[in-house]
Amino acid sequence: MRGGGGKTLSQGQAAFLLLLPFLSAYALFLVYPFFKGVWISLHDWNLLAVAFNPDAKEYVGLRNYERVMWGREIEWSLMAAPFWQGLGLMGLVLSFAFYRMDRLSLFNAIALGLASALLVFLPGFHPGEGGRWYDRRFWPTVGNTLLFVGLAVPGVTITALILAAMLSGQTRAMSILRTLFFLSQVLSVTVVTLIWQIMFSPRQGLIANITGTFGGTPINWLTDQQFAMAAIVIATVWWSLGIAMILFLAGLQDISRDIYEAAALDNATGVKAFYYITLPNLKRTITLVVILQIILHFQVFGQSHLMTQGGPNDTTQVLVRYIYQTGFRDSELGRASAMAVFLFVIMGAFSAIQFIVGREKQ
Amino acid sequence: MMPRSYYWLVIGLSIPAFLWLIPTLWMVSLSFQPNEILARTTSSTFFGLIPLPFTLDNYAALFSFGQTPYWFLNSLIVSLGMTLAVLFVSTTAGYALARLDFPFKRTITVICLLGLMVPEQAVFIPLYTMFADFGWHNSYHALILPRVAVPIGVFLMLQFFKAIPKDIEEAARIDGVGWLQIFWYVMLPLARPAMMTLAILTFLYAWNDYLWPLVSAQQREYFTITLGLASIQSNFAQSEGLGRVMASGVIASLPVVLLFLIFQRYVVQAMTAGGSKG
Repeated sequence: MRGGGGKTLSQGQAAFLLLLPFLSAYALFLVYPFFKGVWISLHDWNLLAVAFNPDAKEYVGLRNYERVMWGREIEWSLMAAPFWQGLGLMGLVLSFAFYRMDRLSLFNAIALGLASALLVFLPGFHPGEGGRWYDRRFWPTVGNTLLFVGLAVPGVTITALILAAMLSGQTRAMSILRTLFFLSQVLSVTVVTLIWQIMFSPRQGLIANITGTFGGTPINWLTDQQFAMAAIVIATVWWSLGIAMILFLAGLQDISRDIYEAAALDNATGVKAFYYITLPNLKRTITLVVILQIILHFQVFGQSHLMTQGGPNDTTQVLVRYIYQTGFRDSELGRASAMAVFLFVIMGAFSAIQFIVGREKQ
Repeated sequence: MMPRSYYWLVIGLSIPAFLWLIPTLWMVSLSFQPNEILARTTSSTFFGLIPLPFTLDNYAALFSFGQTPYWFLNSLIVSLGMTLAVLFVSTTAGYALARLDFPFKRTITVICLLGLMVPEQAVFIPLYTMFADFGWHNSYHALILPRVAVPIGVFLMLQFFKAIPKDIEEAARIDGVGWLQIFWYVMLPLARPAMMTLAILTFLYAWNDYLWPLVSAQQREYFTITLGLASIQSNFAQSEGLGRVMASGVIASLPVVLLFLIFQRYVVQAMTAGGSKG
């Protein structure tokens, strides 16, 4: 395999030279920081103290994880969160039953069963008599993040799916309409929050102005506990619909036209065709889009940081914002890093699922 | 001839499409209205969606004083710098991993693949302390370098180079052309469409990134426009005047919107590729 003699490089040498720039950046700015993050999470590490004196950190083992995620007198019971745990139990039963009835493949049954088991297990922890969480804000913050994901992902997916199904035509008018729906996707998060902060403003906002002419009382969207989360979800759906729509459009192109024509002979057009042909054929694309959105929206930061500052009363506080604040406002880099590792584990799990599902396609 | 139902569909969809556009239109429209009016009401003409009374003062003010032009320039420098750097490391590494044979190739590929699982939010704290140790914060390279290490681009290029037929290289090899020359003179010209996609993906990311600039650039002189806009929007009504803040928003969006409208096909490809690969 050695190429050319004399002055030209061998294949191995050329590869080394070509890989060097990327690999050095990769090692220095991604691999090293990743391990350093884990290392910081094992220390009592104050940002300012360590900046002045590099020895001012103290190795504390897993204490940071304990201080973030655990508490005093934590107990587990099946009745701590009856709704979620009940839902989990139901999921367990259903995944087993559906598997036996051949309605679910083994892989899907295991996935659903695992998710249900976690739903039974995780919400079961709670502080017992006289106990408390060491960090009262962490789990509620995780809960808010999950709620955000739970609202934004179906919101984006369903809207994008319906739009994609209607906009898949290869005509000029359809292409213009697609452009209009996609446009907001290229804006930056700060432009999006700027627009929606003022849209939602009870005094100056477009929404209040329009409802005002019909005699409605303006809603304090961003400062009302009932509406704040809804407001950042609306802004997010508006912002990030485009990618999902484009992925669905790509998936739709793979469905053969013949199927629709055959179905049309049986009077299955419009909504019927969507339900019986489009949906089943798009299953894998839908799964991929959902996982992708989960990964994307779990990292939400800007919307919460800029529109509601995590408020009112912490109802829109999300995980990345909490990490940011713990690290850079409270200077507690150790605890912040422990949370970042927690974030990585969750995201890593979803990335792995995404990778497996994506592989199945090929 | 299109069936009649098609025209109904287009008309029916134009309404939600217009609604979808309204927030953006409103920003543009407000940016052309005088601040004195906006302080009183934001719905002068048709809920403020038509910029009457009309003025260019907000844009004039933006460029005569205030820091927006500098932030805009910073964003341009950082985005273009990052795009060039990412293109360089991604094409070289992507080519080596796709077309060359060398020891530990599989291992190196897998190690790079694992990097796709690490989100920016999981490493921004250690990156911050690292760059602080080097004294790098508040500089252009501090804003650029972390993204250069993200392997998405390498995999985009790897997939592209893998699809090129082998004979092209072999013909050149027989003529005694070296590997680096093949890369530079044969492969790179072929890779233009993929490089375009990657360039747009990187530019959009750089222009719109918020978290890392927020952490790294503390001096206002090094703000990008995305960060600068965040810093003036929290007290928009009082200090700067709503019209001017909106004008900043329009200026901040102009490059990415133009990029999108001109290179629509590539932008869609880029966002799909970037989206589906983390």
